[in-house]
Amino acid sequence: MPYSPYDWNESIQQRNEFIEDRLKDGSPVIALTYGEGLLLFSMRQTQRKIYEIYDRLMMSAIGNHSDIEQIRVGAIDAAHVEGFQRSPDDVSVQRLISFNISPAIKRVYSDPFAQPVVFRGVFAELGKTEDRDTMIVVSYDGEFRNSPRMAVVAGTAYAEDRMSAYLKTETESGTANLAVALRASLYAWGIGMKHLQTDDRADADYSESGEPAADISSVVSKHLSDRWTPEAAVLERNTSRENRFRMLTERDLAETVSKYQ
Amino acid sequence: MLIALDEHADAGIAIAKRALAHTESEIKMPLLFENKPTFADLLAAAGCRSIGPSAGAAPALAHGTRDIDTHGTTVIAVKYRDGLINVADRRATAGNTVMYDQAEKVLALDDYTLISISGSFAKSVEVVRYLRHTFKYFERSQLQPMSQGGKLMELQRVIANNMPAALQGIGAFIPVLSTFDRETNQGHIYFYDAMGGQFETAEYGAAGSGSGPIRGAFEYILRTRGPFREMSAEDALRESLTLLEIAADLDTATGGSAKYLPAAKYITADGIQDFTDDEIKRALGRI
Repeated sequence: MPYSPYDWNESIQQRNEFIEDRLKDGSPVIALTYGEGLLLFSMRQTQRKIYEIYDRLMMSAIGNHSDIEQIRVGAIDAAHVEGFQRSPDDVSVQRLISFNISPAIKRVYSDPFAQPVVFRGVFAELGKTEDRDTMIVVSYDGEFRNSPRMAVVAGTAYAEDRMSAYLKTETESGTANLAVALRASLYAWGIGMKHLQTDDRADADYSESGEPAADISSVVSKHLSDRWTPEAAVLERNTSRENRFRMLTERDLAETVSKYQ
Repeated sequence: MLIALDEHADAGIAIAKRALAHTESEIKMPLLFENKPTFADLLAAAGCRSIGPSAGAAPALAHGTRDIDTHGTTVIAVKYRDGLINVADRRATAGNTVMYDQAEKVLALDDYTLISISGSFAKSVEVVRYLRHTFKYFERSQLQPMSQGGKLMELQRVIANNMPAALQGIGAFIPVLSTFDRETNQGHIYFYDAMGGQFETAEYGAAGSGSGPIRGAFEYILRTRGPFREMSAEDALRESLTLLEIAADLDTATGGSAKYLPAAKYITADGIQDFTDDEIKRALGRI
């Protein structure tokens, strides 16, 4: 049987549906730059979600854990070889994504006999200065987009839009410190989760002025009481430690969470 | 009849084989990247000749080997009440020439481990880079830090791997390792021989050409002033810098403190810190 352009179209369509269907329940991830560093934030039930890749690089994603794991290890390998053979300064998120991660994902996505990866993730790179912080969101088809200052990953494009809109207004005048960044991230997570759950894309009475705060609070509170735990990690710009990457502890997050408990 | 059966059997096997080949070509596990168990394997796969365990065959030994004696320097590690102190001179030599007066010989391997290097500077720097990457690669990919024992084993292996080069008189390096164990809240000092043999010491460790002449002085301090591990940071720094000054007086390859201050760092439960210039000057009796 001849393989027509129609078949190709259909197979791509089916793949997208298959993947999107599995992504849509993922717990949203927020990447946000603040004065002294860079924050990745999410909430989780069981699996760890935020990972260190290299000296100035970290990632988080939604999707199948086995796929995330493969991409994570692939990124770590590529970064370490480059950092050892040349210099840690030559390891950049831009090079890593465009020449390693994206082509590999694209390859399995466009091979009709291979299972595509169920993955959408954000790679965040700490710059020497705040305006050089870089975040790249990579999707299951290998497509990626660069976003300065902040990035979000969620199960649907609509949820991502709502989260971005909130974070954009919230961080317009810059994010002063980690506490502010954490507060905004947790709220943005609540927004993402709300719009994932209610599937209210056509919701007409959504006001442009902002999300109804009570709704968002109740989404966050409900998940906290369902034993979801916040997970956050930072890359610190000015630190004397060998590792810039630091997972935030329960104590670091207590204040942010206490508002919703 | 028999023959016919065989033919049938052959045909059956052929069909099965074809079917198998068919499924193999159709069902693919989309392995995006091949995982490498260790950093050394990763480097080997990337075609990078490294100094790790997979470095490959060592170069043939030159005819007639020499003693391993190319480590002109002095590095000292001592324990003190809250952790460990490392001091080192800053001279780099080539034969009888002073190459450089600001060499950094006390290097951090991770947040709680200092390596003080003696011997070939180029080799030492490469080893430190290799070990740093190895430790971090392990922690990042395995999602747990490499154990203390694992780290020590990596270092021993690198030294042992370097043995042939050391015997040829090129690239010998012998470190002193200081590491702070956060679980037991205790510091450990290890020194090494050229074959990678590892020895833990109770009080102090030293390496380099200047370490031999001052060995008796360590023992004198232990007997007259008491153990290093009970000293305050000021006392332990003063004693170790005095020892370094004596080494500089007795050994041509060890630099003094007149031109540039020696390097001095300490490890506590809070991680690694540099002593400030003022603290070093005070310990040297200049303030």
